[in-house]
Amino acid sequence: MTADRHTARRAKIATSAKYALSIAAVIAAVVPVYWMLTISLKTEVDQFASPPKWFAFTPTLAHYYDAFSTRSFGKYLITSAIVATLSTACAMVLGTLAAYGLSRFRLRGQLDRRLSLWILSTRMFPPIVTAVPLFLMMRDLRLINTITSLVIVYTALNLPFVVWMMRGFFKELPRELEEAAMVDGDTRTAVFCLIVSWNEFLLALVLTQTDAAMTLPVGIAGRVTQYEIEWGVMSAAGVVAMVPILAFALAVQRYLVRGLSLGAVKG
Amino acid sequence: MNQTARSPSTNSFAPEARPHTISLWRDRALPYLLIAPTVMVLLALSIYPLLYSVRVSLQTGSGEAAHWSLANFGRLTTDGFFFSALGHTVIYAVVALTFEFLLGLGLALLLDRSLRGRAIFRAVLLIPMLIPPVVVGVVWRLMLNADFGAINGTLKSLGIDTQALTWTASPKLALASVIAVDIWQWTPFMFLVLLAGLQAIPQEPYEAAMIDGASAWQTFRHVTLPLLRPAILVALLLRTMDLLRVFDQIFILTEGGPGFATETVSLYIYRAAFRFFDFGYAAAMSFVLLILTNIISVGYIKLLQDQEAA
Repeated sequence: MTADRHTARRAKIATSAKYALSIAAVIAAVVPVYWMLTISLKTEVDQFASPPKWFAFTPTLAHYYDAFSTRSFGKYLITSAIVATLSTACAMVLGTLAAYGLSRFRLRGQLDRRLSLWILSTRMFPPIVTAVPLFLMMRDLRLINTITSLVIVYTALNLPFVVWMMRGFFKELPRELEEAAMVDGDTRTAVFCLIVSWNEFLLALVLTQTDAAMTLPVGIAGRVTQYEIEWGVMSAAGVVAMVPILAFALAVQRYLVRGLSLGAVKG
Repeated sequence: MNQTARSPSTNSFAPEARPHTISLWRDRALPYLLIAPTVMVLLALSIYPLLYSVRVSLQTGSGEAAHWSLANFGRLTTDGFFFSALGHTVIYAVVALTFEFLLGLGLALLLDRSLRGRAIFRAVLLIPMLIPPVVVGVVWRLMLNADFGAINGTLKSLGIDTQALTWTASPKLALASVIAVDIWQWTPFMFLVLLAGLQAIPQEPYEAAMIDGASAWQTFRHVTLPLLRPAILVALLLRTMDLLRVFDQIFILTEGGPGFATETVSLYIYRAAFRFFDFGYAAAMSFVLLILTNIISVGYIKLLQDQEAA
């Protein structure tokens, strides 16, 4: 009897400790993001208040107005959306076809296996390695500062991932269900491509120098590293760059976990 | 042509009314036609740039005066800045990887089973890794700012002297600060991959361990860890590759400064190429990075394959 009560109490303590730790982790994950949100809504006076104002401030949308009307963030937002969508679509079409070819046919001399590994290995290059030659290539093709160059480069960036993921889906499901495999696999894979393209920075930084084709991350970076930083506008731009991808990702989060391990667990 | 090269399943692509030879040709060509566009795109945008890089790194001088030489690689061996950047990259990768792994594993074990509301915790913990790294840079500039940042503001109101705590602006604390930001952003990734691994472990080994009267630690050590090994290796492999190439957040947070305190290899290469337009030297350095990444990845992949073979 007493032993039972003892274990029950211990279990209760363990559960409470688990909750305390989980809540601590959640707070650590959210608080910095919330702080940026408040800065984007604060007047200059409140931004610099000491002690920091976490809740009690009068919100203003002035920084958002500035970001869109007097700075070019609206334009960057549109560029980001176009580039992410087009490059995802291109990578999905090409990659799904290739994955089908690589999983539903047996090629000579294990070419299918070798090609799959080679395709995956191109994903392992650090982007800075190809950034220099890509810049020179695009300069020769007169494609610097164009949306086209970004779509091309992001398509190549996502292709290995699409091929590898879709190959997994085709291999897993029997032939009779291949349409289902395609729909399910493409949905999951597209989620990742969109996130990768939306968040990509280094290649866009290298390939764009004017407002004509700057994506949101490049637009933000350009202002942050200048000497006089307008924190309110910066934060507003950060919120604008973050909200669409967060909303999208959380809406489809059940697709995320499996894809994250890149299907590599099963090889 | 060799019959075994044809998968029997390809027959369904050949309508029976077609002449035999045409359908046969189509069957054989189809997979290659499907694969060709992808291969061409990757050749043009991954392999060609790589070869181009080799050429640029092996040339000195420009235009008419260009000639082959190993000068760029020779210069590498005497460039103290390069070694210092390499050192920062290694420290960054090792420290961040260690913390991200331990914290991610802890969280995954914590939220694996039986905790009510774990779906919500999981969704919220996804947030940091989904935010664009550039925005993460902005977020933490706001948190770490010495004058109005939330961290120093809070410390000050607790009566702690923050004069020396200038975080990213301090030569001593800058590297630790950018590493902490990386841990904040990418621990959720470790957590998710390890969680997926944990949930793939069947119940039976745990039941057997319970019957044997194993303690919680023994169960973890002898059941969970070995069965989780593939997921652990995958998580470490993917994170290591990303850590070695880290660029975005550091570029926003410190641009490699103050001085050279947070300059990593990627940033140094970027500076050489796009600030000093020394493409040859940048290409030479990027090979060192590529080879380093490759050696480490191959090591992990070998471990993974040994695991599968065992």
